[in-house]
Amino acid sequence: MIISYLLVLFKILLALLLAPGLVGYVRWLKARLQNRRGAPPWLPYYELSKLFGKEVVMSNNASWLFRVAPYIVFASAVAVTLLIPLIATDMPFDRVGDLLLVVYLLLLGTFFLALAGLDPGTAFGGMGASREMTVAAIAEPTIALAIFGLALGAGSTNLGRIVSATLAEPGVAISPGHLLAFVALFIVTLAETGRLPVDNPATHLELTMIHEAMVLEYSGRYLALIEWASWLKLLIFFALLANLFVPWGLAASHSPAALALGVIALVVKLAVLGAVVAIAETRVAKLRLFRVPELLSVSFVLALLAVTSSFLLK
Amino acid sequence: MNDALFAQLSTLGSSLALLFGITLLWRRSLSAYISAFRWQSAALSALLVAIGYLGDDPELYFVAIFFAALKVIALPYYLTRMEKQLGGERESQPYVNVATSLILSGLLVLLAYAVTRPLVIVSTLPTRGGLPLAVGLIFVGLFVVVTRKKALTQIVGFLVLENGIALLAALATFGIPLIVELGVFLDVLMGFLVMQVFVYHIHGTFESIDVDQLSELRY
Amino acid sequence: MEFLLQLMLGAYVVGAAGSLLGGDARWGQGLAALGATLGAGATLALGAVALLSSATLTLTLPGVLPLVGVSLRVDGLSAFFLVVVGLVGMAAGIYGYGYAAAYVGRYSLRRLGLLLNLLLWSLSLLVLADNALIFLLVWEVMSLSAYLLVLTESDQPGTVRAGNWYLSMTHAGFAALLGMFLMLSGGDLSTSFQAMREQTGGLSPLLRDIIFVLALIGFGAKAGIVPLHIWLPMAHPVAPSHVSALMSGLVIKTGVYGLVRVALDLLGGGPVWWGGTILALGAISALLGVLYALMEHDLKRLLAYHSVENIGIILIGVGAGLVFQRYGLMTLAALGLIGGLYHTINHATFKGLLFLGAGSVLHATHTRNMEDMGGLIKPMPWTAAFFLIGAAAISALPPLNGFASEWLVFQSLLGSAQIPVPEIAVFMPVAVGMLALTSGLAAACFVKAFGITFLAIPRSHEAAHAHEAPLSMRLGMGILAVVCVALGLAPAWVTPLLGRALTGLGGLPDTQTAFTLGVFLHAPDGFGRMSPLLTGLGLLVLLVAIPLLMRLLRVNQRLRMGDSWGCGRIGQTPRMEYTATAFAEPLRRVFAELYRPSKELTIDFHPESRYFVQSIAYKSEISPLFERWFYEPLLALIQRLARLVRRLQAGSLHLYLAYVVVVLVILLLSARWYS
Repeated sequence: MIISYLLVLFKILLALLLAPGLVGYVRWLKARLQNRRGAPPWLPYYELSKLFGKEVVMSNNASWLFRVAPYIVFASAVAVTLLIPLIATDMPFDRVGDLLLVVYLLLLGTFFLALAGLDPGTAFGGMGASREMTVAAIAEPTIALAIFGLALGAGSTNLGRIVSATLAEPGVAISPGHLLAFVALFIVTLAETGRLPVDNPATHLELTMIHEAMVLEYSGRYLALIEWASWLKLLIFFALLANLFVPWGLAASHSPAALALGVIALVVKLAVLGAVVAIAETRVAKLRLFRVPELLSVSFVLALLAVTSSFLLK
Repeated sequence: MNDALFAQLSTLGSSLALLFGITLLWRRSLSAYISAFRWQSAALSALLVAIGYLGDDPELYFVAIFFAALKVIALPYYLTRMEKQLGGERESQPYVNVATSLILSGLLVLLAYAVTRPLVIVSTLPTRGGLPLAVGLIFVGLFVVVTRKKALTQIVGFLVLENGIALLAALATFGIPLIVELGVFLDVLMGFLVMQVFVYHIHGTFESIDVDQLSELRY
Repeated sequence: MEFLLQLMLGAYVVGAAGSLLGGDARWGQGLAALGATLGAGATLALGAVALLSSATLTLTLPGVLPLVGVSLRVDGLSAFFLVVVGLVGMAAGIYGYGYAAAYVGRYSLRRLGLLLNLLLWSLSLLVLADNALIFLLVWEVMSLSAYLLVLTESDQPGTVRAGNWYLSMTHAGFAALLGMFLMLSGGDLSTSFQAMREQTGGLSPLLRDIIFVLALIGFGAKAGIVPLHIWLPMAHPVAPSHVSALMSGLVIKTGVYGLVRVALDLLGGGPVWWGGTILALGAISALLGVLYALMEHDLKRLLAYHSVENIGIILIGVGAGLVFQRYGLMTLAALGLIGGLYHTINHATFKGLLFLGAGSVLHATHTRNMEDMGGLIKPMPWTAAFFLIGAAAISALPPLNGFASEWLVFQSLLGSAQIPVPEIAVFMPVAVGMLALTSGLAAACFVKAFGITFLAIPRSHEAAHAHEAPLSMRLGMGILAVVCVALGLAPAWVTPLLGRALTGLGGLPDTQTAFTLGVFLHAPDGFGRMSPLLTGLGLLVLLVAIPLLMRLLRVNQRLRMGDSWGCGRIGQTPRMEYTATAFAEPLRRVFAELYRPSKELTIDFHPESRYFVQSIAYKSEISPLFERWFYEPLLALIQRLARLVRRLQAGSLHLYLAYVVVVLVILLLSARWYS
């Protein structure tokens, strides 16, 4: 019992620790693929410590909401981390929330971040908030359908059950329904975490930016929290993709060896997915904002087919 | 003979064929249309080989070879040549915009699933899982023909539609006799050649292959 | 319980009488508000007692109305709706005391107080009616008092037009309901519901289908399902805000009550297309409602369109429930219906809260146009906080109540894989997708509604000099805000009650124990379990722990105020802010095929040179789909018919008398022949 909860604590710390590294790694790999030397992968850690050491400069127009939002964004991301499988199949909080709760908790963070974007009253913040909410809203149906597809196979929307169902019946992992749902969720991951081709995380160009525009007024510890939360969100989506579709490597027991294997498996999976994203970001150009719905409707159709073929196999 | 594997493979192959069909709706440039068609045909030939092997019907190997020769090599080659000669025209403004097309095509697949359901229930074929997808592919091909404006993209739509019919035939009957299959191939080839002539004429008359312009012929 | 019933009816009468006698005087208004609040409180208590004890109460007063007598009955379903009416009615009653004060000297307070009590009286009584005649009578009282309340500010532009639309829609619906009850009761409207329940099984399938369609039209017109929704965005905004809250929170819910009562209870369920139609209309209403809300910049019209959306979500649950009931999947049917009913009470509370909040904003700024607001969070912190809770709840953000009910509806849809007819089941994913899109868009819309209204710099003089609402108004909003949070945290305790309330309707089994495992909410035959209470606690702990940890770890705590970053430009004005129109622009482009926006750009150049622009005017409108393709042709048809009828109208008195004679003769003759 106690060990389970200690494990949860360890899971959170691990996620918080790995998240900046994951982003740094993707950036570094991307730079390498583009024949640049790139910043070292551990740069995000420096960024965090630098931001936590700086004072906050807040706009005169902003209200208390601007000061509360970073905490809500960060807390919702951490709460989601509690619910998802990272290193072990044993999840004491599995009963507290299912995939739907995960999605809506993330939406809670997005909601308050968008409000905070509007708060200082600058055009940039409004622009970012408007675009972020547009993308988030259109991505929603795909997520719901992908959840439906997964739940049909496992008979539950709770993540622990989905993982154990796939582990019990490995053939499911290569069924068309699973593969289609994976691709659909991958596209949504790119959209939700602000990666190319939906948003360019490396630019400050007003015509194209979404996330960066929204948080432009933030500084100091608030910015650190928001950035950390958004990196954590990337890790969360990667972990969902990795562990819901390819759950092997998750520790089934509490023995140190199994847990160590679980951590290693997680790191390897994250590295692979990070590499895929880095390669994809090197190959594709950013889409115009108004072609993003087309991309997301592709993912919607894929998810719809995933559900349909789950019905087929039933 | 492994029925479970058979079922899995035929569903997988049909899904791939359908996915490449849906790709048409998302892409705009003609070369993307052609390559999607080529990949789709390749997936279908592979599926034919698989059905031939698992269904123990060596005749299907020949069909697969013909299929590949015609639809993976010959037709895409001619299409590419036509595209070069006519200038790289893009499907920039279809009648139904891209996002809506995609969602409609998803609904069409659902419809296909609903209408083929009685058939699937009574069928005992190991390949029955792919039947709705084949009908869905036929619907998607039709949809491309109806909503796209350029003559060349319409031709690709027609070919995709034909692929859907071939897929349905292969799944439902494990391949009709070779001689019928060959006749169908010839038909497709003839149809293609006729359409090719038409496209050149349209281009000669209007300096464009936008079939919208054909309505001007009324006056 | 009988005492509570008497208290309820009595308090409303006292409130009405007090208002009638007291008029503009403070005591009159106090009495009106007190009557409404006390009556609603008694309604709430009555419903709660009945719901908790699962007692039914039947009351027959044969002497009150000649011919039929009054027969009332409290069962699970009506007890639940009594709770809904009581909750929102109480908040609106308290709020109305402060809100109406601004009307002194401008509009008749006597009328307002009287009608408010009458509306609440009819709402409370409607769900108790146990025969068709009482139901229809009370229904009509409700419709008319709501109509007169809409007309309160009749000197404002658009009010009378809105009232006319509401009146004609509600009467078209009434005609359908009258026909439906006549068929259902075999011509005798005083037949009790119990008798109907027993004899509906013997009706022919065709007749049952016709009854269902009429019920759908009649109750749908009241509930505001697409395409019968167009009166909502007209009538709700022009009414006084606490009346808007009642209309949006309660009046349209009577449509849901009626539909469940007739389709599930009286008819006992029907063929699969009944549920399928309700589900499809619900999904379409939900999506179109939120899409039109996004384009709206009038705060109250925006909320009215969201009522269409939420009625849609409720009907998705109800429709799914009916579909499952048809296939004998009773637990799933209960799940869907519970989701629908849970969303009913949730929508009543958060939409009531939002309308009251919008009323406070209107009270302070005298405008409903969001483009003239901004920065209200500073002068009106309480209203802003309450509105934020409502906005988060309607966006289905955990741990608030909107999430709990949407979760239940989602779970019931996910259970559709158990439907034995896959041709039907395969379309359920479409409903899942539409529901998900709806809730995503609702979140976007409420970021707009809250962000543009309350955040950033004031966009007008009025917004800059706004003031906080008086205590009674804050109290009204506060009650609903607390209920929103409580209903969000407590679904594990509320759903069993709903399960019990639904027991027996349409053959549903008692599902009160199936839904919960302690603090965990469990969807039987659905797919999941979760605990909003623990989620809420977890978020709270994190929100406290994170700042504490940051302090412990000696994170830099300093904060300096400065100007917003304006790309080097000094001095930020409201004109540089993002507007509501701009915020919604990406979505307008995405859904351009639906909106079909028209653009008009006029640029005045300087006469000397085209390089100097004197003024730019930009106008853009979206095309109102339903008005253009449904109502305009319909109105044209009616007018053409009216012109035909005019031929009969010569204006001569003698001719009219001749008509009377002719008709009389024909009637007598036909009576002679057929008897």
